[in-house]
Amino acid sequence: MNCTTNNPAAKRFMRRNLITLLLYALSLAFSISVFLHFHPTGVLAYLLAVLPAIPLTGLLAIFGLYLAEEKDEFQRSIGVQSMLWSIGGTLAVTNIWGFLESFVHLRHLNPILDAVIFWIFMGISLPFLLRRYR
Amino acid sequence: MKNRLRVLRAERDWSQADLAQRLEVSRQSVNAVETGKFDPSLPLAFKLARLFETTIEEIFSDEN
Repeated sequence: MNCTTNNPAAKRFMRRNLITLLLYALSLAFSISVFLHFHPTGVLAYLLAVLPAIPLTGLLAIFGLYLAEEKDEFQRSIGVQSMLWSIGGTLAVTNIWGFLESFVHLRHLNPILDAVIFWIFMGISLPFLLRRYR
Repeated sequence: MKNRLRVLRAERDWSQADLAQRLEVSRQSVNAVETGKFDPSLPLAFKLARLFETTIEEIFSDEN
């Protein structure tokens, strides 16, 4: 998974990630387009609204799959540590933002951004953790 | 945990990358184990012992 590894599990992770991100972009464009032009209602509206969330959730499953397939236990450990930092970071940011929203009426943070915040923390923590073991 | 990996490698004139290749792990993994920053699992410790034709106790020792 990390940029210094070229093992099969890491390559599969990168390939799956790219495909899923492409699916996310396509599903998001599709949902936006349908909502703009056809104004769906009822069950269809719910399904279309949820559609882009499916590949985003899939990214987490792909990361889980990477951890299951990675044979290098050290790389696996780095992946797990990075995920824990990301979960903690996302919870901390959204928690702090939530209180700021409640008390000082800061702009509402759309929960869609939780996934973005999580992956930003993954991107930051991974090279930081690898530096420790260089 | 202390280990003699650096010495054992040097005796065979292996780089960290050479050892990593033989263990089928990344060079960073070898470095992390060698510098004592990462304790290997029992399967990896046994693999190291087999590779260096010695026992786990000969490679790793408790710091206490």
